[in-house]
Amino acid sequence: MEILHIEDLSFRYPKAERNALSSVSFSVKRGEFIVVCGESGCGKTTLLRLLKSEISPAGDLSGSVKYLGEDSLEIGFVMQDPDSQIVTDTVWHELAFGLENLGLPCDVIRRRVGETACYFGIEELFRRKTDGLSGGQKQLLNLAAVTAMQPKVLILDEPTGQLDPIAASEFIATLSKLNRELGMTVILAEHRLDEVFPIADRVLVMEDGRAVLFDLPEKIGGELMKLGKDHPMLEALPSTVRICGSLGYEEKIPITVREGRDFIENHFGGKKAVLPEKEYIPGDSIAVELKNVFFRYERDLPDILRGTSAKIYAGEIFAILGGNGSGKTTMLNVIGGLLKPYRGKVLVAERPVGAYKGNSLYRQNLAILPQNPRALFVRDTVGADLAEVPEARGVKKSEREALVVSVAKRLKILHLLKKNPFDLSGGEQQKCALAKVLLSEPRIVLLDEPTKGIDASAKRGLSEILSELKSAGVTVIIVTHDTEFAAENADRCALFFDGELIAEDIPQRFFGGNTFYTTAANRIVREVCPNAVTVGQAVGSLANGDTK
Amino acid sequence: MKAFGSFHPAVLLTYFVAIIGIFMFASNPVMRVTALLGGILFCLLLQKKREIPGNLGFYIPLFLLVAVTNPLFSHAGVTPLFFLNGNPVTLEASVYGVFLAVTVIGVMMWCKCYSEIMTGDKFLYLFGSIVPKLSLTLSMAFRFLPLFVRRMKTVTTARRGLGLYSQRGFVDRIKGTGQVFLSVISWSLENAMETSMSMRARAYGKAKRTSFSLFRFTMRDGVMIFVTLLLFALTVTGMASGATDFFFYPRIGELSLSPLAVTAYSSFAILAFLPFVIEVRGALLWRYYISRI
Repeated sequence: MEILHIEDLSFRYPKAERNALSSVSFSVKRGEFIVVCGESGCGKTTLLRLLKSEISPAGDLSGSVKYLGEDSLEIGFVMQDPDSQIVTDTVWHELAFGLENLGLPCDVIRRRVGETACYFGIEELFRRKTDGLSGGQKQLLNLAAVTAMQPKVLILDEPTGQLDPIAASEFIATLSKLNRELGMTVILAEHRLDEVFPIADRVLVMEDGRAVLFDLPEKIGGELMKLGKDHPMLEALPSTVRICGSLGYEEKIPITVREGRDFIENHFGGKKAVLPEKEYIPGDSIAVELKNVFFRYERDLPDILRGTSAKIYAGEIFAILGGNGSGKTTMLNVIGGLLKPYRGKVLVAERPVGAYKGNSLYRQNLAILPQNPRALFVRDTVGADLAEVPEARGVKKSEREALVVSVAKRLKILHLLKKNPFDLSGGEQQKCALAKVLLSEPRIVLLDEPTKGIDASAKRGLSEILSELKSAGVTVIIVTHDTEFAAENADRCALFFDGELIAEDIPQRFFGGNTFYTTAANRIVREVCPNAVTVGQAVGSLANGDTK
Repeated sequence: MKAFGSFHPAVLLTYFVAIIGIFMFASNPVMRVTALLGGILFCLLLQKKREIPGNLGFYIPLFLLVAVTNPLFSHAGVTPLFFLNGNPVTLEASVYGVFLAVTVIGVMMWCKCYSEIMTGDKFLYLFGSIVPKLSLTLSMAFRFLPLFVRRMKTVTTARRGLGLYSQRGFVDRIKGTGQVFLSVISWSLENAMETSMSMRARAYGKAKRTSFSLFRFTMRDGVMIFVTLLLFALTVTGMASGATDFFFYPRIGELSLSPLAVTAYSSFAILAFLPFVIEVRGALLWRYYISRI
């Protein structure tokens, strides 16, 4: 039975040159789990907001959106930023907020809030302040607060964009549970498709404001390839789909790792392949060295860095992976001189960090890209913001402009210079922040979770920038959760665990040697080719040679 | 051990208004001393054990100081005890000094208990139920402030990591901080748009809001508020009739022991020791339950 019916929907923002949506038609059945995907700026958010009348944007609209339930209040909406959606200061009040708005009596609210907290497993947080929660907990609270109003349809606009993979999985699992156990209809916009493809009933692919595909998840890969061999959305698909899809089989394409393994077993069963290893030659000098470093935040707190030692050579891309809250960011900040260890030595360019006086550590030497790129913007336009860096370096006014333009050209953000940094998409913000970092002409760049909340094509853009930096001899240290990104880009990877860096190695050996902490591509093909860790390598290892 | 604190905020506020109100207006030594004792005992139970010695070290000297100061500066009264620098130190002024000290320490004790028991959320709840909009506004403000501070920190750290801070002195530093502040403000405004969207999406403004809270008014609260008001009324009757009036100057007066006065003393005593008794009962009950387990 239909619950949402969208017919020939077009929408244009006031003063915009072109339509944000053009003739989108689809319908959603009661209890379906729909995934909406597409590149940033393809109109996902606009579409989702038009589905709920309370928060529909203003503009020219034609066509129709029909909700076939009783009241549009039965549609719940969750946005991307965990922080900005929370209205009140305590968890219990946040859960009750929507119910208070409906004017329900206190006894009813008490009961609903109670059962919701139980269902979501957040009883322990019930009396806590919302500000003290982690990002994942906040987003779960947002979902719970919406669910407490007993919606029939849940719409979520990239809810996991700001979360780390573990919190994101947990969130998706909760969504899937709501869908399966309570029959809630879910419409979810997502970048990370690996986890949502297996639970989706249908996938809506959008491109330039049009709905180009609306089909079963297992058919999406094949259909996309029919639209074009190098369709930009192909990269965003789950690894399984990409590997199995590009091997050229017309049948049903597997979407989970398990199905992917079965698929490989069926087609390439007896095959064994070992890829040649990419040779790793350490640079001539050491860019960053940690010698037995200890750090803790407060006297009475446990050590975060516990005798950490590492040598990172000039000109390499070094990826630090590790669990949540393991101290990766802390380590990065210690290297960057933002935090001071209480024991051990940190050498940058073979000089102790402490020996750099004043700003000199950050002058054409070292720069940190923070986790939230937003934190770097303080002016009205991107251009003014970028000009700040040469200004601080004491570059003459006449030369600043040229410097900004040259970096902007390099990162392909010339068209963004006049824009307000807050109006940009996540990927664009990331690029502009990176431009700011590069303007200080660093020899060592530290990146904290650079792939958080950006889509596949923005990730590719980032990869290109990284390889360009590498060829310019810049050392890049990345802290990330993103195993795929590390496998594609890093020269060496290391696992940060229990206050130490362990298992430093080239990606092929690092991921190939891990069983749990590895890429989806490696999980799928490891029986056939244990050291293929990226989608490209996996396809390569399978494509060369005979099949059963 | 907060049996008393678990009463409904309205009950607690009534209680504290009653006890502190009477304490301020009844200038009767018996009542002040009982109130002081009640306050001290209650306070002892609320305190952490290791804080007690430190507090004694503060309150005892303060008590002595106030008690001694009055006779040194006030020479009213008709019974000189001895002369100091040619000025009489009178019995009346000395007694009144002790009385003042009792008052000061007593008020401090009760205020301390008040702040331990009437935490911010209870206070907010009470005022919130009078003005529902206010409670939501305050709740949103308390949500916003830490977020703002956290963002200031994020931006400052991010700028440090790029070396975008000044080392050229005070004016530059102020300018830099101002810049950060403005940017966090615009970040917050941006944020406010999303917050308002999140509010609208959750039916804000669709119907007349109710105000939910975790506090519940139960039978126990009803009984407690009744007892408090009854004791308050009995005491106030005694005070209003003048039975509890007491004079220190020019000569220390006589303590009235009329039935009305005795009723007032005893009701006030019960009122003053009520929290202590409730706390002790709570503790004993707890121990009894544990011993049965």
